[in-house]
Amino acid sequence: MDFELNPEEKAFQKEIREFLDEHCNEHVVAETLSLQGAGPYSKELLRKMGAQKLLAPRWPVEYGGRDLSPMCEVIKVDEITAHHAPFPLDGVEIGNSILLVGTEEQKKRFLPGVASGEIDIALGYTEPDAGSDVASVQLYAEDQGDYFVLNGQKIYNSEAHVCEYHWLLTRTDRNAEKKHRGLSMFIVDLKSPGITIRPLFTSGGLRTNEVFYEDVKVPRENLVGDKNGGWKVLMSALYGAVAGGGMATGTKYVIKTLAEYTIAEKADDPDARWIPDALADIYVKTRVSEIMGVRATALGQLGVTPLYGGGGMVSRLLGGDTRRLLYNTAMQILGPYSQLYKDSKYAPLQGGILREYMDAPRWTIVHGSQEIQKMNIATRGLGLPRR
Amino acid sequence: MDPRLSEEQEILQKSARDFLTDKCPRSLVREMEKDEKGYSPQLWQEMADLGWMGLVFPEKYGGGDMSFLDLAVLLEEMGRVLLPGPYFSTVVLGGLSILDLGTEAQKEKYLPEIINGKAVFTMALTESDGKYQASSIKTRAAAANGNYVISGTKMFVPDASVADYFLCVARTDDKAKNPEDGITIFIVDAGSPGIKKTVLKTIAGDKPCEVVFKDVKVPEENILGKLNLGWAEVQKIIERAAIAKSCEMVGGMQVALDMTVAYVKERVQFDVPVGVFQAVQHHCVYMLVETEGARAAAYEAAWLVSTGRPYSAEAAITKAFASDAYQRVVALGTQAHGGVSIIEDHDMPLYYRRAKASELAFGDARFHRKTVARELGFKVP
Repeated sequence: MDFELNPEEKAFQKEIREFLDEHCNEHVVAETLSLQGAGPYSKELLRKMGAQKLLAPRWPVEYGGRDLSPMCEVIKVDEITAHHAPFPLDGVEIGNSILLVGTEEQKKRFLPGVASGEIDIALGYTEPDAGSDVASVQLYAEDQGDYFVLNGQKIYNSEAHVCEYHWLLTRTDRNAEKKHRGLSMFIVDLKSPGITIRPLFTSGGLRTNEVFYEDVKVPRENLVGDKNGGWKVLMSALYGAVAGGGMATGTKYVIKTLAEYTIAEKADDPDARWIPDALADIYVKTRVSEIMGVRATALGQLGVTPLYGGGGMVSRLLGGDTRRLLYNTAMQILGPYSQLYKDSKYAPLQGGILREYMDAPRWTIVHGSQEIQKMNIATRGLGLPRR
Repeated sequence: MDPRLSEEQEILQKSARDFLTDKCPRSLVREMEKDEKGYSPQLWQEMADLGWMGLVFPEKYGGGDMSFLDLAVLLEEMGRVLLPGPYFSTVVLGGLSILDLGTEAQKEKYLPEIINGKAVFTMALTESDGKYQASSIKTRAAAANGNYVISGTKMFVPDASVADYFLCVARTDDKAKNPEDGITIFIVDAGSPGIKKTVLKTIAGDKPCEVVFKDVKVPEENILGKLNLGWAEVQKIIERAAIAKSCEMVGGMQVALDMTVAYVKERVQFDVPVGVFQAVQHHCVYMLVETEGARAAAYEAAWLVSTGRPYSAEAAITKAFASDAYQRVVALGTQAHGGVSIIEDHDMPLYYRRAKASELAFGDARFHRKTVARELGFKVP
């Protein structure tokens, strides 16, 4: 048993950290923190990272990767998050699926572009009437032989306005006996005629999108997996994500920043005596969810992880809860000043805490709400009976 | 990184589980709560014969030459069955401290006794305020003609009623500036004149004692470690014990979780097993989160100890998490079981009571969060 990154992983961590220290400049950080999606500075950084082969370390060399361990993927996400660098996560995660279920032609067509930072792919699962119950999607793809014609609507497709492609879950059989057997997955060029992207903003200021499809023609070669085999592709995305996740360098930094702030501003304030214990509690939970996530990733890459039940999923639950706790506590630490937007001269810590507090609810909802995760862990991990 | 158990550890885990399932059923746990000694000397000797007392000690003293991480595996198994008896006190508090701090003569004298199952050790540390801090140590050891004379009262000394030796933490220099200075650890023969032990009746039935030392003479050669510089070592002992205790707690959590999952799959209400209800499922999922979290932290911390890396910070993180986690696991497990599990002869209350005792041992969550807060830069008293 050992809990040390292997030399290759350590070297990768050092390399990407130093690279981002140097290249993730204030313009990129400003774009990231604006929550408006990858802007020009971010795209430039992504291309630079791509040139250094930092974006998809896990992928085979021939598709632009480095053939490194899933742990390097976790390290990448951690460093990107900690540096407030842009997040090409979806394109790479989708690429993991393409690697598993795509044709050779699809791999050659899309993966090198993602790995080099030239293109990114937005997730297109959710619809107004298909959220957690994702098998209920209605966006219809009508088979016309050489091509499909798509009609319908997606929602909450963040980054769709700055991505080149859409990873789109559609319905191809309205009469399937079970609704998840009538789904198909496509990669759609977002410049195709008939696509309208309309902005939608979260209360935390994050730009997301509604995406409307009106008689959009998509070539058959863009179908991923089998027709009506979309559910399998969707699940492959889940199973492909061996990276249990969970390094928390950025979060630990926030906790340390709050500690420094408290020590500097409230050293003699008798009403601040609760803060050390509260921050320590959050630090403990953050660190434990980190150890758990990294452990799950390590087990995963050794081929022994239960996807549910022990590890990544479980670490995500603790991490999600802790994140919410962190930013609510942070607001309480800052007191009345916490509510000031960053343009106020009195805003503490550049308004960063307020931004994260407002954005915090998203994290326990996106990519599978906590309730869905709990259901999966309960039924698949613990073997509890289904309804 | 490879968080898997080694083949050797898997064998240890399996043989320990088989042995303890057979030899330490819950009926024995209940019986020992009422027993005067609180453990079965026969089982104790069998454990010694299996090499468990000597597991982590070097071969030259008769030990098994295995690591702290191997010990962690064994402790988790002991925590599963709530093994009654002075194993933890003898090996973790006594033996490891002697191995760490002892002179060669001390090691040669005491370690073989421990390894053979002939000697029970414990540590007489906490005093009237029940705290794990230097300023709480009021017990004094005064030098007199090559001896030290110890006087003071220790509280919650684990397994004191059956101990052959105490590691007694006492103040040897009253004039020291800081409370951390002037503290020394002594190896005290429990049969020495002037020692009075009173068993305290506690929820876990584990019989910690009040131990009064009244002019107890101890030869100078029984100083463990350095005169007046003992507190730093005591801290290390507490931290290592906190990690070891967390490993034990993980075993208990896992059993409470397994017991609960098995029950909600079978218990039918409203014509369905109650495990189909999301409210119940979520209880079980959070029990898993707590258990897996504590396990990940405990094993990582044990690995730090095993490999000679610094472990103070991770010990605090581990025990802070495990203390709250075990409590939460038994509370949720009880809730998911419903009425049946609050009846005295159900097994859940055995775990419920020990969760609290383990939480209190070697610093509760709040105590360890103070250490974490200090790491964050706070000046915490």
